[in-house]
Amino acid sequence: MSVMKLSMGPQHPITGHFRFILDVDGDLVLKLEPDIGYTHRGIEKLAEKRTYLQNLPVIERVNSYCDSAGTMLGYLEAIEELMGLEVPERAKYLRVIAAELNRIASHLYAACLFSVATGLETMLMWPINDRELVLDLLEKLTGQRITYTYQTIGGVRFDMPEGFKEEALKRLDYLEKRTEDYYKMLLWNHTFHMRTKKVGILKPSDAIKLGVVGPNLRASGVKVDVRKDEPYEVYDKFDFSIPTGKNGDSYDRLEVRFKEVEQSINILRQALKDIPKGPIKKWAPPIVPKGEAYTRVEAARGEFGYYIVADGTMKPYRLKMSPPSFRNLIALPHLCKNVPLGDIPVIYISLDLIPMDVDR
Amino acid sequence: MIPILSFSEFIELILKVLIFPGLAFPLLFAMIVIWFERKFLARIMLRIGPLHVGPLNRTGLFQPIADFLKLIQKEIIVPDNAYKFLYNIAPIMASIVASMSVAFIPYAPKPDGGYWMIYYTPLSLLVILAIFTARPFIMVGAGWASNSKYCTIGALRAALQLLAYEVPITLSLASIVIMSGTFDLAKIVETQSSIWFIILQPIGFIVILIAMMAELSRRPFDIPLAEQEVVFGWPTEYTGTQFALVMVSEYFDLCAVTSLITVLFLGGWSGPVIPLLNDISPILSGVFWFFLKMAILTVIIIMGRGIYPRLRIDQLLDTGWTLLIPLAIIQIIITLLTAQWWLPLVRGA
Amino acid sequence: MSVEEKVIESVKTRFPEDIIEAKVKRKNRVSISVRSNRIYDIGLFLRDELGFNHITSVSGVDYIDMNELEVIYTIWSIDKKILASLRTKIPRDNPTLKSLINVWEGVLYHERETWEMFGIKFEGHPDLSSLLLPEEWDGPPPLRKDFLLPETPQEKLEEKIKRAGGW
Repeated sequence: MSVMKLSMGPQHPITGHFRFILDVDGDLVLKLEPDIGYTHRGIEKLAEKRTYLQNLPVIERVNSYCDSAGTMLGYLEAIEELMGLEVPERAKYLRVIAAELNRIASHLYAACLFSVATGLETMLMWPINDRELVLDLLEKLTGQRITYTYQTIGGVRFDMPEGFKEEALKRLDYLEKRTEDYYKMLLWNHTFHMRTKKVGILKPSDAIKLGVVGPNLRASGVKVDVRKDEPYEVYDKFDFSIPTGKNGDSYDRLEVRFKEVEQSINILRQALKDIPKGPIKKWAPPIVPKGEAYTRVEAARGEFGYYIVADGTMKPYRLKMSPPSFRNLIALPHLCKNVPLGDIPVIYISLDLIPMDVDR
Repeated sequence: MIPILSFSEFIELILKVLIFPGLAFPLLFAMIVIWFERKFLARIMLRIGPLHVGPLNRTGLFQPIADFLKLIQKEIIVPDNAYKFLYNIAPIMASIVASMSVAFIPYAPKPDGGYWMIYYTPLSLLVILAIFTARPFIMVGAGWASNSKYCTIGALRAALQLLAYEVPITLSLASIVIMSGTFDLAKIVETQSSIWFIILQPIGFIVILIAMMAELSRRPFDIPLAEQEVVFGWPTEYTGTQFALVMVSEYFDLCAVTSLITVLFLGGWSGPVIPLLNDISPILSGVFWFFLKMAILTVIIIMGRGIYPRLRIDQLLDTGWTLLIPLAIIQIIITLLTAQWWLPLVRGA
Repeated sequence: MSVEEKVIESVKTRFPEDIIEAKVKRKNRVSISVRSNRIYDIGLFLRDELGFNHITSVSGVDYIDMNELEVIYTIWSIDKKILASLRTKIPRDNPTLKSLINVWEGVLYHERETWEMFGIKFEGHPDLSSLLLPEEWDGPPPLRKDFLLPETPQEKLEEKIKRAGGW
């Protein structure tokens, strides 16, 4: 029996900016050790040198191409908690709309990657086409496709443009219809079941013990969602459910994401219907009073935590980010013990890790 | 003894070797199928596919030629610690072996008796089977010679895959041989003149189609080449012309496989005589039907890439041994038990 | 009495000597400041008795003026829906702390990152090696305050304004 060290990545079709060091015996992976840090940009250190407002675009780039709106919300929450700032109601709704649209885009992207990991290229193209519809909507709302800097301290920067509501509702209807196709193509595909069911089973007890968050934790059957547990912005006003999985395998992790897309559509419909009139921004002083705050938001990949220590100047004394992918990363070596080599991409992609999110 | 050829026989041989079914045919087939595959899959995936290269506007008809020209301009990189002789010879071997099998396939009958094929032998089915079996060894050799980890894993997967599909192929060929009573492909086509074997042996057809998709490493069985797992499997290290040869050899193989299945199950050239083609040359009508059947099979095989995820190697072995082999054996048993009904249909003709 | 206050109360009664400060910060937030030598036992108590089971983050803060490093374990309780920050201060010159890897398995990468960024040595951690920084990194731990980034033009301007006596 001979064990081969196989270095997967950072230049590999599936790993992105990761490197996995695998111990391979034939076609069986005995151990996986992730090697991260290829996209480390030192954002936490950088943030200490920049003012709170200047930090906005930088922080957004922690998770830029997937979920920047959801990511930034936590930072703003923390600052507003320290300032004791009450954001106008309309701005809260707009923030939620941007975040939920971004969640849909992110989950569709996850579905694309997932089908690529199993080798089904058709389902790479279909959701990515439909993701473009959502990004178009976000462009109408914020002026940008992926990095918005839309939400700002004290509110949002632009109001909803004319005709946005009708356009959004139309596209949401289309997306809802389109999900049917995804179910037919991916989730009810027998070959896809063969590849993903009973692969990478994460038990609920293990998931909690390892500190896994977000859809991955919910797929294991643990009902944890910051939007319900401690509602921020206006999430307490919406009626939505938290989808959970049964088995905690790779298939469940994808299915939960699809169900979350449905819930997001649900939330968006309510938000677009209920959005009140009023100002969209409140003036905020550049100086944040002394203190510290820990806030959590439910970004697309899971709970995103921000810890800010403010020393009464314009710049944060310490900004700690606790991104979901970094916390989900620990599940990867846990799941990749004694699995076939062919399952490594499936397990890795099912956790929906984004290298930038892990490295910051 | 070297047979002395007359001038017309010589011209015919040159035609066969260089144009059809020899050199030009597999190349043209590869070119058209590569273009078709890209365009067809693009349509499935809601993309457009190749667009600009070629005569007709917005079709990208000459894209494969452009790709090939690009590839042959590239530098051939041989890894430092590769076993150079085997590494260099493997792509050439792969394309030669892949294109060899078309020499033994009868494409049409000639009006004066005999068949339009390069080399006639009464054991042509066995020869083709032997040629198919040779291909995985080239893969293993190339993977080993590259001296790269991903190549080695890909080569080992190719060898494992051989175990899964080779036995079902042989078993379902056995029931064909039982039914037709010969190893001669031309005779097998002749026996199908009244009824095609796909109707008499539907299970055998399905088994051989699935097994041949595995033989061709087409999705869902492209496990040795699985991009997401082993980069590109055994040909990972190849560049430039060598890579082009590897790619082309896959399509040569596709050509051989679709031809073989057409001959075995779809009645080869048999079909109503088309007067227009028959006027030009008597073999053309048969060739037309042959191409039509090949095209249908090619589309079916290509479609797998658009709608199926890839299987895992253990699942493929599982499918091969617990599903395909029993099915093939069942087909043999049915064939033997129902001899009294099919014998007058097949042998009597 | 709210759930948060109950948590504070039970920690205080169990470890009267070792708690420096324990308070409810706001709804769903408690902060427990402890002596560094007892952090392991208090962690075990929080996990087993009070149900703080879901590790959220481990972060360090460098208080260079007080010559201290603060380590903050943030743990979420799924049943109680409370976020507890378990914090302790250690001297900056010799920053060692008992690793809580046996309490919460999920701190594996969090502690490794804190070690890398602040130079805090976690005793008992299985693998304290470079995580995010390049392997050839041999500077001081980068998130400490005495690791200075090059001055930006804006900071130069601010410095100038400060020297000139403000705006």
